[in-house]
Amino acid sequence: MKAYFFFALKRLIQLICVIFAGCSIAFFVSHLSPISPVESIIGRVSGQSSYSPEAIENLRAALTEMFGLDVPLHEQYFNFLRRLAVGDFGPSLLAFPRPAIELVMLALPWTFGLLTVSTLLTWLIGNVAGGLAGYYQNSRLLKALGILAIAIQPIPYYIVAFMMVIIFGFFWPVLPISGGFAMNVRQAWTPEFVLSVLHYAILPAASLTIVGIGTWFLGMRALVSNIVTEDYVTFAELGGVKRNRIVFSYVMRNAMVPQLTSLAMTLGAIFSGTIITEQVFSYPGLGSLLVTAVNRGDSATTLAVSCIAVIAVASAIFIIDLLHPLVDPRVRAE
Amino acid sequence: MDRRGFLLGTTAIGALLAAGTSLAFAQDDAATPPLTDFPRNETLIINNPENPSTNPSNFNMWVAGNGSSWSNGLHQLVLDTLWFIDPDNGLDGSMYNELATGPWEYNADFTEMVVKLRQGIMWSDGVEFTAADVKYTVETQIANPGMVWSAPFADAIESVDTPDDYTVHFKLKKPNARFHSLFTVRWNGAWIMPKHIFEQQADVKAFDFNPPVGLGPYTLNSFDPNGGWYIWEKRADWDKTAMAEWGEPAPKFVIYRSIPNNDKRLIEMVNGDLDMIHDLSPEGMFALANQDPTARGWFPGFPYAHPDPTLPMVIFNTQNPMFQDNRVRWALALMLDPLEMSMASYRGAATLSAIAMPPTGTHTDDYHGPLQDYLIGYELNTGKQTIKPYDPTVGQRIADMVRPQFGESVPTEEAAIHKSFGFGWWKQDLAAAGELLEAAGFTKQGDQWIMADGQPFKFTLKTFPDGVINRLGTDIAQQWARAGVQATAETVPDIFGNELPLGDYEAAMGWSIETWGGNPDLSFFLDSWHSDYVAEPGERQTARNWQRWSNPKLDEIIETMRVTEFTDHDANVALGNDFIKLMVDEMPVIPVMSFNVFSAYDTRYWTGFPTAEANPYANIVNNWANSKYILTQLKPAG
Repeated sequence: MKAYFFFALKRLIQLICVIFAGCSIAFFVSHLSPISPVESIIGRVSGQSSYSPEAIENLRAALTEMFGLDVPLHEQYFNFLRRLAVGDFGPSLLAFPRPAIELVMLALPWTFGLLTVSTLLTWLIGNVAGGLAGYYQNSRLLKALGILAIAIQPIPYYIVAFMMVIIFGFFWPVLPISGGFAMNVRQAWTPEFVLSVLHYAILPAASLTIVGIGTWFLGMRALVSNIVTEDYVTFAELGGVKRNRIVFSYVMRNAMVPQLTSLAMTLGAIFSGTIITEQVFSYPGLGSLLVTAVNRGDSATTLAVSCIAVIAVASAIFIIDLLHPLVDPRVRAE
Repeated sequence: MDRRGFLLGTTAIGALLAAGTSLAFAQDDAATPPLTDFPRNETLIINNPENPSTNPSNFNMWVAGNGSSWSNGLHQLVLDTLWFIDPDNGLDGSMYNELATGPWEYNADFTEMVVKLRQGIMWSDGVEFTAADVKYTVETQIANPGMVWSAPFADAIESVDTPDDYTVHFKLKKPNARFHSLFTVRWNGAWIMPKHIFEQQADVKAFDFNPPVGLGPYTLNSFDPNGGWYIWEKRADWDKTAMAEWGEPAPKFVIYRSIPNNDKRLIEMVNGDLDMIHDLSPEGMFALANQDPTARGWFPGFPYAHPDPTLPMVIFNTQNPMFQDNRVRWALALMLDPLEMSMASYRGAATLSAIAMPPTGTHTDDYHGPLQDYLIGYELNTGKQTIKPYDPTVGQRIADMVRPQFGESVPTEEAAIHKSFGFGWWKQDLAAAGELLEAAGFTKQGDQWIMADGQPFKFTLKTFPDGVINRLGTDIAQQWARAGVQATAETVPDIFGNELPLGDYEAAMGWSIETWGGNPDLSFFLDSWHSDYVAEPGERQTARNWQRWSNPKLDEIIETMRVTEFTDHDANVALGNDFIKLMVDEMPVIPVMSFNVFSAYDTRYWTGFPTAEANPYANIVNNWANSKYILTQLKPAG
């Protein structure tokens, strides 16, 4: 137990260092953007009328002060670190004066819901089918599934997404192709709203699932194909243990450890959003928010999304590290 | 705890965390407006071309950078100001007296302006609109730098007084016969703020103005907390708004939907879920016209598109030594093939313009048609010969070129061809272009042109990341490259926000000419072209003289315009002609075509939309604020 405590403490210190370094890099990278939000706003506003050079200079000074950009970069950095501790990323520069963290919290549930469901579904189906395909290597059905997975996996995701839009939005228009829920439904936890959200999520979730299953399927099949050659599997078969028990309790369970690790990391990455899905399906979420923030030079919102992604991924890895000695008997805390 | 128990426990904790997130989500949304049904025969659905709003619940669009959308219906249906102007014919002429009872009244030297306001106009919360609102709007914005109209107000206005509740008296800092244009909406303008609402706020810039209180005939019904759609509902007292003079707006509900993707706009219209599309790709428009019998564009057939009063062009950074000689700029113009540009960008659906004036609205009658003789007779000395570079048959040739593909939808009458495809353009003449370059000291080594200083004639043409302007820029760079100029196209995401105003370019695609469209006056863009406004290299150029070009003759035109009445049609056309001829001589930009917008509408649920051929009463591009007048002309279909 003492060894586990020191192991956890060491990992915790690593976690804090990674978050600090990741967020600091995110800060400086977001400030390297050639797009200035102040200049973009001046461009938008001054295009409405004749602005004298003096008027432009006055507007620039007012906006720079309003956005807190009138101090040197190192001072902005220390202000950022101070605020990071309490989850404050300052006002969004594309939705002034709304706090950037509010924009993130508005977008987060959409991405979280869509990606959590599609990732878990993809993981479950891909691993079960891949595990069976690895064990029952002579099954024609499972062989066909393998060929299908190999065929689908290299197709770029956006091609699949666009095909689904055209098929189910145009040729056979039965599913909504943009947005998160229907316009005449109140956004609250009512059955009507939940059904509408599920209805609108079918195409984006299905497109993610179709492409994602192949990866998990092929990975699991490869892992199981190796495990079935192990002695203990052969002994179990010779000993008359039921095949289903061998597959699920002996083979797939042992193959699960790397798949669980990958799942945790994938779930951690949810917090950075899925940009292409949200763009194709006009789905509200972190990916769309990030693209808008980057395009408009909104460093506060870019930072909020980036830092939350850094914290989420680093925390997911931290949790995996802590769980490994408890989940996998072959791993021991040193 | 065994491993199985541990896993079950951690799963349960994860589920609780997810539920916690969900609860927070639900609490945030408790204030969302109630469910409402929107019968299709009472609801008009319009495409908002912007991305979903980043600050959906903020309606205080007087704050620069607040992230609220400018095309979600707020400034089209709710806000109001003194005058409107349409880039097309208008319901009774292009000028509308909106909150003002009549036109502006200037004193003799244009240093004062008086406005008489309508009586009996009500804010949507029942408070009467008065001159105090106008005065408050001006003074509040001047006192708060960072508000949208703060700088132009502070620049122009000495003081504002209200002799009575329905009169506003402006004293100006210097003579300005175009001061009224700050309160004249074509796409946007200085909207009047409700004094009784804003004066209660400690910080007007932090106020979200939700729900908005307006002077227009609609109020907010509900909106998507994610910024994707806004629903507006007709006021019961719509007849207490200035727009009532033009009739009752037909739809009870108007929905603005943000659909950034072109293809999905088309699909939504074919499926009956969209009545007006702001813009499509050329191919999208052609497909829609083929597949949806009730959908159409501005023109009944090819080229379908509405020519906006903007003029896509090649803009030279004239502060760059490479482009300071007008012979070089002319040479680059003569290297271009107009038919190729039309096909490469718009697949032939382009309305070309050889002069620095968009071929739109009333401009074809005021300028393009009357100037044909001048253009046909225009002579250019290349240094070795004198040529007549204008080809008046280009519009006809484009029509002939697309007719085999689009058949009867392509007009055949000369007047219709001129409206649809333009009158003419400059002839591609590589020999004359070469002579001009040689006269400017250039030499040709092999296939490449070398400048007088011995350096290769090499530059980058910055252009849009996608769409027709991207195609046009790419094609132009390729045409120059084929003629021996080392030009390459480079795409940039926000050319009007950064590259053009900051002068961070050599040559660029964009526009620095944008007119009222429905009026020959050029002040909308030309006033800021005065040499007083030309920025030093590296500093921000005020809109719109992106080419940073100055000329004493141009200053004279602008200074005369500043003391010429806006309504003096003949005087303004004469000034416009002087401007166009100077631009032909100097060619600081190469005008190419109008910005044709493939706006589409569907008559499945509503009829009465404006059309190019029969009833061009309004700009069909529906995110422009003056598009609100369309609502008074609509009728439910069947």
